Amino acid sequence: MGRSDGEMILLWTLPVVGVVWLSAFLLFPGFVQPMSPTLSAEEVAAFYRDPENLPRIRYSMILFNWFAVGLIPILALIVLQIRRMAHRTPIFSYAIIACAAGGPTIFLMANLFWLTAAFRPMRDPQLTLMFNDLAWVTFSSQVGFLIAQNVILALAIHLDRQARPVFQRWVAHFNLVVAVLLVPAAFTGAAMTGPIAWDGLLTFWVRNLAIGLWIVVMAVVLRQAIERQRVEGETVAA
Amino acid sequence: MTSTAGGVPDEPSSPLRKIAWHWRHDEKRELWIGWWTLVVFYNLYGLLFFVIARTQPPPQPTLAPSEIAQWFDDRRHGLIYGYAIVFIVGGATAIMNATLAYTMRRMSVSRAFAYSYLVIYALATLPGMLIMGVVCTVGAMRPDRDPELMSWLYDFAFLSFEGTMGVFLIGSLVWMVAVLLDRNRVFPRWFAYLNLCNALTEVVVAPAWIFKDGAFAWDGTIAWWINMGVFVTYTTAFLTLLRRMILREDFGTGPLPELARDEAQEPSGSLEAAR
Repeated sequence: MGRSDGEMILLWTLPVVGVVWLSAFLLFPGFVQPMSPTLSAEEVAAFYRDPENLPRIRYSMILFNWFAVGLIPILALIVLQIRRMAHRTPIFSYAIIACAAGGPTIFLMANLFWLTAAFRPMRDPQLTLMFNDLAWVTFSSQVGFLIAQNVILALAIHLDRQARPVFQRWVAHFNLVVAVLLVPAAFTGAAMTGPIAWDGLLTFWVRNLAIGLWIVVMAVVLRQAIERQRVEGETVAA
Repeated sequence: MTSTAGGVPDEPSSPLRKIAWHWRHDEKRELWIGWWTLVVFYNLYGLLFFVIARTQPPPQPTLAPSEIAQWFDDRRHGLIYGYAIVFIVGGATAIMNATLAYTMRRMSVSRAFAYSYLVIYALATLPGMLIMGVVCTVGAMRPDRDPELMSWLYDFAFLSFEGTMGVFLIGSLVWMVAVLLDRNRVFPRWFAYLNLCNALTEVVVAPAWIFKDGAFAWDGTIAWWINMGVFVTYTTAFLTLLRRMILREDFGTGPLPELARDEAQEPSGSLEAAR
């Protein structure tokens, strides 16, 4: 077992984590048809009190609580690829390490707010509404670390000037496009309806699909890079 | 990467071409990207927190719930749009902290210093900035919320922001010890003591968790005004020292060479605002 075998094992955890995330997403009754910010406190309380919803809210959020950090090994693999790039300093790999914990921690905060709201659904509806607001605003608006990850990766790829760069140029451009798609979600507090609202086209669908697409595309190019590294390692050894 | 001396054209004079030249040929471009990010974002954060969101200087902790609801209402759009911009650019702290961590890697000290600093400050972004933004957004988006709950959001926002101390306390001390131990002369010794001053401001802010008015409250002379003064001095100092470090950088592992006089005077040669 070489070093790259371990990296391949880490990479193949991603499909498993992906399936768990997708199941949790479908299980949470507030995602499939995203909850509207226009619901009144009583309606939000009724959502949590509904005996059909309550177990699904709890189980889906417990799944997310277990697996939210599942992306970190993949980011660690990206860090290793950045280290192979033709840079003069480790600044870009440091920066991705700095981002790696940020995204999952923020998602965990949102997760805690949802679970706390579901823990005592008979609480004053105003309190349930506040926890629900905190969960949705944290979940929707916190795109900063993801945008930074994309931009830093794009910069690192652009400055990787060698005959056979680790990632091809289009990966940098793809990352910048994803960064742009994430921007509108930051403004989610500004609207209760329409595309910017937390259940809207841009903030909910475009943002989440962009994140999903990013994970899939990066997994594919990572796999190619690790495979290539493995072949090159064998050539050197032979 | 290695630009051969023969193949590199002279640096042009027009600003845009200058940036392009540095992007292509400057061996220190990664460091300059970090430095410019630090300069641009510290200024931007100042503008966002003080002018647009108007959450700094902080309001009084003694406001009544109805006054707090009014406070949210008065700056509703500033809070929502100001913090939206903070959320978009907030991740830039990653590249900023990576650049500052690099200063410790260039020192003759263990890598543990750079890694500790990097992780501590990555963590600091949440309680030091983002939680406040989320909570203020939640407060601003429903003006009709029960004032008692608005009051809880207000306390949470300001206490999480002002009262998160340990990350900056330990982070500054890590940097201080690294500077004191370093034999590569990356930073002067006085900067180590400035780190100590910054660390001490985090000690004296602790009473903000206890007092609601007076010098020690979160808007008080000690907890806020003196601390902000030290912070601005500290930031200006390390931005200046970092710039000098980059100019002196030789990508070696030994002591950093000193700057020749004319190099130190020349303010240009650092246009790498590309982002």
